This record gives sequence, structure tokens and C-alpha cells, in this order.
Amino acid sequence: MMTKLEAIVQPSRFEAVKEVLTELGISGMTITDVRGHGRQKGHTEVYRGREYTVDLLPKIKIELVIPDNLVDAAVDAILQSASTGKIGDGKIFLYKVDQAIRIRNQERGVTAL
Amino acid sequence: MKLESQTSTLQDFYAEESARIRRNFEACSDGKAAIQDRTALIDSVIRQLWKEVTETTVPADGFCVAAMGGYGRRALFPYSDIDLLFLYEKDGQAEYLGKKVIAPLSQSLWDLHLRVSPTTRTLAECRRLHRGNIEFNISLLDCRYICGDQALFERLRGRVLPGMVTRESESLMQELTELARSRHQKYGQTIFHLEPNIKDGPGGLRDYQVACWLAQIAEMKRSRQWKNATELLPAPLRTDAVNAIDFLDAVRCFLHYQQGRDLNSLTYELQSEAAAAGIGLHGAHTSSANDWMRVYFRHARAIYRLTVLFDEVPRTKSVLSRIFGNRRSPLSTPEFRVLDGRISLVHPHSIQDPDVMFKLFKLIGQHDLALTAEAEQTVGMAVPEIQKWAATTPDLWDHFRQILILPYAASALRAMHRLGLLVLLFHEFLLIDSLVIRDYYHRYTVDEHSLVTIENLHRLAAGGADLNRRFRDILLSVEHPELLYLSLMFHDVGKGMPAENHVDGSLQAVKGVFERLHLDVAERDTVNFLIGNHLRMSATLMRRDIFDPEAINDFSQIVGTIEHLKLLTLFTYADIKAVNPEALTPWKAQMLWQLYAATENYLNRSVDDQRLYVEGKDAQQLESLIPSGENAGEAERFRSFLDGFPKRYVLTHSPAEISTHYRMYKRLGHSSAEVAITRRDDYYELVLVTTDRQFLFAKVAGTISSWGMNILKADVCANKAGIVLDILRFSDRFRTLDHNPSETNRLKQNLIAALSGELDVADLMKRKFQPERQAAKVQVETRIHLDNECSSHSTVVEIIALDRPGLLYDISSTFAELGCNIEVGLIDTEGGTATDVFYVTKHGTKLSLDPQHDLQRELQRRL
Repeated sequence: MMTKLEAIVQPSRFEAVKEVLTELGISGMTITDVRGHGRQKGHTEVYRGREYTVDLLPKIKIELVIPDNLVDAAVDAILQSASTGKIGDGKIFLYKVDQAIRIRNQERGVTAL
Repeated sequence: MKLESQTSTLQDFYAEESARIRRNFEACSDGKAAIQDRTALIDSVIRQLWKEVTETTVPADGFCVAAMGGYGRRALFPYSDIDLLFLYEKDGQAEYLGKKVIAPLSQSLWDLHLRVSPTTRTLAECRRLHRGNIEFNISLLDCRYICGDQALFERLRGRVLPGMVTRESESLMQELTELARSRHQKYGQTIFHLEPNIKDGPGGLRDYQVACWLAQIAEMKRSRQWKNATELLPAPLRTDAVNAIDFLDAVRCFLHYQQGRDLNSLTYELQSEAAAAGIGLHGAHTSSANDWMRVYFRHARAIYRLTVLFDEVPRTKSVLSRIFGNRRSPLSTPEFRVLDGRISLVHPHSIQDPDVMFKLFKLIGQHDLALTAEAEQTVGMAVPEIQKWAATTPDLWDHFRQILILPYAASALRAMHRLGLLVLLFHEFLLIDSLVIRDYYHRYTVDEHSLVTIENLHRLAAGGADLNRRFRDILLSVEHPELLYLSLMFHDVGKGMPAENHVDGSLQAVKGVFERLHLDVAERDTVNFLIGNHLRMSATLMRRDIFDPEAINDFSQIVGTIEHLKLLTLFTYADIKAVNPEALTPWKAQMLWQLYAATENYLNRSVDDQRLYVEGKDAQQLESLIPSGENAGEAERFRSFLDGFPKRYVLTHSPAEISTHYRMYKRLGHSSAEVAITRRDDYYELVLVTTDRQFLFAKVAGTISSWGMNILKADVCANKAGIVLDILRFSDRFRTLDHNPSETNRLKQNLIAALSGELDVADLMKRKFQPERQAAKVQVETRIHLDNECSSHSTVVEIIALDRPGLLYDISSTFAELGCNIEVGLIDTEGGTATDVFYVTKHGTKLSLDPQHDLQRELQRRL
């Protein structure tokens, strides 16, 4: 019924991703500054003769819970807006969600989203 | 026992009276009347309950009920706690009184939905200092009789409390101020919060009360008399403070009524509602919530000024510091006396002299000192007197610059702002005075945000974690930090202007500041660059991939020079960090540094490729540099002089400097080399214009070193026609030129002789050069990095080494001996480390593999 979508994207693509999700009517999301790496590995900068290695590269994690009927559209939108075609563009993970409860009025299910 | 039968009647009475008080408040927003009426209402409720409860049970002797805290002061806000003291005389009464009187009375009050905080104490307990609960002792200062044994209460107020307060005055005052200081700490030591807490925040109701308590305690110690605390406040601050309290009383009543709870944060929504209702304005109306908030901040500032009284109370001290603490501080000067971290004026009238006034703020900026209450008043009154001086003086920048670079500049600027001096000197700052711009991120008003940016940079000097140290190192290498601080101060003044884009507004407003400070063109350009681009770096961080060379290239085009890059990086660091204490996360700080390092590397490694050419897209830029009024032939000659120089040259030098270099070039026809040596602030600048030749830079570096000079920086480049322009900065370690100005000419002659070959530099170095014998204070591992990829036609040699006299001679002569030509050289020294970048060629092309190995090996051997 509901799916949690977790996307790890380049910081530079975040605004574009947010924009397309908003266009889909998805405005509720949780954003976290994160660091990590997959195949992109790190980046080494030589500054004043000294090497500075950035093992974990900056990324932004977007988390949202959406009704199942929006999942495909949201995934497509993220794929299009977050992609630069280069290594390090990020990943999308999908999880099934059993229940959502709005704390204020204890609404449950999709209406609580 | 519960007062079943009577409670419903009392409940109706309480509800009707409460509604009447609220209606009155809503009709005229008179907060003081509302809290006094509510106090009287609760008094009558308690007396009624007391009457009912004592009718059937207890003798009233030896027991009474008193109001404490705000209730005791007759300042009971709609949803505030009601602090009650149940006072009895003898031990052993507690259980009986608790069961028969205190419990039923309290329960009846709770049934009326009143938030009662009952405290039961004997007279003897009120005599003691409760170190773990000093708030109880303090709340007794406001105690007021309500019902019961009045004689017992009079003993408390007439004998017990004066005795306790007199005996424990020092502890009470210290504890009280420590509590206030930690409360201020919690609120970031500033009144300028966008959503302030009007009770506990700095400049709030609690601060006023603390000032009153301190005054009361001091007076009690002196005279053992109870006096009206408000009348004990310093006269010049009293009127404004009383007006401010009237305002805050109304606002707090409004907050309580609107929220139905004891919540005291002035949120954005409530600001709008309070402004619309004209709360605290006595019938006057403001045009917007922002204007209403400016009224709030004016009142908060009036109360915050009372906190100078907190500083009159010495902090808790060790035994030793008690013995020595009262000695006059060595920071004292003939004009100012410094005691316990506070400055007083030796000759109060002298503060009308602008020099003395600026000395005072410099003292604050140097040591983070506070003014005594008396000095605060005297300075405040003297500020308007210097308006005429400020309008005409050419020295304003000199004074102001010195304050900006001091370690506690923000403290000095806050004091100047509080006393009205800042807006008197810079009316532009008035645009953002107490200005609230609503967003989800900023915590402070725009003026305070600007001052916090300055504070953030100065705090870098105190050290910190690894990343902070990197930013600190950048700050230490900046040539004109004062321009950075000046830009930070005015970067957001446009937010107080009607302009759509606040950056444009700030650039417009700062023009007047330039005029008043008499800044030169280069200084104005730097400030304009920083203000104009102050959002660019954070935008690049968040919207571009900072690991993408194209993004770095684009950003490099914006900053142009490394000095600009350093300034903009520090600006961005300070600006993000000042949004709120958590805004600059390690994640963002790391990205900022990454962008800085990548751009610095790019700028250093692309100098050789980024050249100006007459034929091409730079033509227009070249034209703009030609001095106006030159004839066609002269203009052509000027063009050919600039043709082929690195773009960096025109970005790092003013048109006037370029013009001077051109005139030197024109004189070349009469000499083999033109040399100019000029004394700058704390170094000498040498400009050499000549034709390229073998060993050229080695001869220059060797000659200067043989004179005992230490080369700090150098830019070495040549134009398309092979005209070499070397610009070096050196320090005169033995003050040879300082003490013997005529020696400057001899140094020039030596240089010319060395270049022409009349003087053997190698021999000169052997004979006159004395290497350092002292061991180096820092250890720097020598690193030599050769790169054939960065530049399209040169090999880039980057050398990091421990700086020492003669180092540059060793490097450049190694190049020359191996047949390498220096196309461009960027020499820099920071903190004992030399960081030199050379673009070298051999026979006009990059070095192939074998010569690279030879060069690396030979440099490694000699360094």
C-alpha cells in the first residue's frame, strides 16, 4: 500500500530532484546531509604539497513515504533529474511500509502521509 | 478537607473576574493593569479560601500565607505559576498544618485550574541560604503578606530577610548573576533572536528583575531597609527600562491569552498578531510586524543595558584571586581603569575626544572587556558629540580598521551599536538595525547576524579541529583582513532596502561608506567583489558538482585571483556559520574547503595558460587598461607591453600599478634593466623590468639574499616579446634600508650590475651570504612535485620547503644550471613554509622525462 523511497543523490542535483518530486505532488520528504561512497570511491586533492583524501564523498539522502501508485512516477522523476551520467550519481532504494500514523491526530494509512 | 460547597461559587467568581480582566486587556492592551488586577483577584480568592478553611479548624497564630516571586511583586501573568509560601513558626507544626490547611487550600486552588506552587517553610529555614535552591532565597525578596498571622510575616520581612540578605549578599549576588550568565549563554548572548523568548531571553523580563534584585540586595546591605527596587536602578537607564517593562508586560499578557499557556516565545505568527493588535503601542500603530519587532528590540535593548549591573558583581573566585583580584589590571591606561574585566573612565570628560573614544572601543576589542554602568552612561551621552567630527574626519577608516582586526572586534562593535555610535558613523547600518527577516534558518536579526559573521572569523584564531585549522591558516595568509570584516558588516544592509535583490541594495548602500572612509579604488573593488559575490560560493557548493573540473574552472573565472578566493571562502564560512550555530555542519565545511583547495590549485596551475592576448577575446579588457588621452602610437605600445602577460597580472594589480610598470618598460631603451624599490607597510616591494636572459631570476634572488633580505613573495612572468616583469616582496631583516635609506640606491645598482654580469652573484653569495645557524622552529618536509599535465606548454614544478634565506637562489640557479627557463613563478611564504610554483620550459617546450628526473634529483639534493 505504501513504499518508503530512499534516494542518495549528488548535492548538486538535489534542487532539481526536489522540484520534480514537488511537481508530482510529493512535498513531504526528509533530507539528510550524508557522506559515503560506492564505486566512486574517494577523491584526493593535493593542496600545498600535502595530500588530502576525501574517502567519503558528500551526498544528500532523500527519504519519502508514498502511496504505491506514485512509486514508479517518483522513481522515474528521480532517475531523470539526478542523473549526470557519471559515476557517483547515487542510488534509489525502495522498502515496503506497513503503516503510517500521524502523531497529531492519529490518522493512519495513506491519509497520514 | 475540601471546600465542596463553596468552590462552585468561587469558581464562578474567579471565571467572571478573569474574563473581565481579559476583556479589559483586549480593549486597551494595558498589561500592567491586567497583571495587577489578576494579582488582586488571586489575593481575594486565597483570602476567601483561607477564611473558609480556618473557620472550622486551625488557630491562625504562628502561621501565615505569603505570595512570592511574580505574584509577590503583583505581576501575575494570566497563566503564570502562583508561588505561595506557607510560613509557620515552630517545627512540628508541619504535619498538622499540611493536612488541615495547606492541602485543602492548595487543592481548591488547583480545582480552579490555577498552577499553584506551594512551599512550606519555618521562619528559621527562611533565615538560611539554600545553596542548592538559591531561587527560593531570591523569591523571598518579593514576598508579600496575604493572610494569617501578620506579626509572623512582619518578623520574616522586617528581621529575618534583612538579616539573611545582609549576611549572604555576596553569595546571593554571585549566584544570581551566574544564573543570569548561564541563561544568556543558552540564548547565545544576544537579544537579537528572530523569535525571542521575552521572559528568559537576554533583554527579557527576567533580566529586568535580576537588575532589580541586585539593586535591592545592595541597598539592603547598605541600609537594611526595603526600598522600591525600580527607584534603585541607575537613573539614566531607569526611564527606558520602565517603559520597556510596560511594553513587555503587555506582550507577555498577550502571549498567554493567545496560547492559553505560560509560553513566552514571540513566534512569527504571534509577532504578526501582536503587531496587528498594536500590543504595547498605546494606540499608535505600526505598518508591519517588522516595524513592531523593531519596537520590541528597542525595548529589549533598554533592558539589556541594565545587565551592566550584572558585571558589577564579581564572579566567584578562588582564594588567591580574591586576594589579588581587586588589584588594578595591567590593562589599565592613563585614560581607562580596568578592574575585574570592566573599564571605567579615569577622566569622564575626556571621552568626548574621538581619539579617546576609539581607544576605549579598541581596548574592548583587544581584551573583550565590558564597561562599568557609569562608563556606559558617560559614553552613551558623549556619542552624539562626535557626530560633527565623524562627518569630516579623514581618519575614520584608520580608527575603524584597527577595531575590525582585533580579536574581539564583535564585542567592540556590539558596544558601539548598543551605545548608538555604529549607526551614527554608518547610517547604512540603521537599515538593518533589529531587522527581522523571516525564514526557516536564520536565528538572529540581520544586524546581529552581520556581527556574528565577524565574530566567527575571529574565533578561528582560537584554533579548533583539523578543518578549522585549515580555515584559520587561510585567514592568517590574507593580506587585508580588515576589508573582509568591513564587507561582512555591510553585506546584508540591502535587506533593509526596498530593492528586490538585497545584494544590489548592499552594493548601492556601501558606496556612502566608501566615501566616508576614503577607501582607495583597490579597497572598494575588494569590498564590492565580496558583497557582490557573497552568495556565489555557497551556490556553487550546493548546485554544482565540486569534483567536476568544469565547475572549478567556472568558479575560478568568478574569483579571478587567489586573494579573492581566500577572502570569499572565509566570507562564506563566516556567513553560513552565522545563520545559526548548527548551520555550518562538518559536511558543508568539508565541501567548502574542498572547493577552496580545488580552485586554488586550479588558479595556481593554470596561470601559464591564462594569458592576455591583443588578438582575441581579451582585446576589450586590454583597451580598458590603456590610460585615457594616450595617442594611437602610445596606445599601441601599451598593448604590446601587456600582450602575452598572464591574466593574473592584470587581476592582481591596479591600473595605476600597471601604468607605473609600463613607464618603467618605456625607459628600458635607456637602460638594460629598470628597478624600483618601494617601502610598504612592513615589507619592501621590488619591481624589475628587463629583457629575458639566462640565470635572470637566480641573479635577482641571489643579490637580494646576499643583502640579508628575506624574500616573502614573488610573481615572475614575461610577455610575448620576452620582457620580464618580476615583482618581489622582501622583508629587511636587519633593517639595513630602514636605517640607511641611501642604501636602497646601492641595492638597485647591485641588481643592475648583477644582471649585466659585472657582479658575480655566485661569488657574492659565497662571500657575503651567511646562512641561518639557528635550528628551525618548525619542521617542514621538502616536497617537489612535477606535473606535465596542468599546463599546455610548460612543466609545472611545485616546491614546498622550509623557508630559509637563499632558498629561492638555490631553486632558481638549479633551474638555470639545468637549462630550464622560468616562464612564470609564483613564490609565497606562510608561517615558515615556502610554497613556490614555477612554470618551466627547456628549449621552449615542456621537460621530457629525463630532464624531469634530473631536475627533481638536483632540487632534492640542494634543498
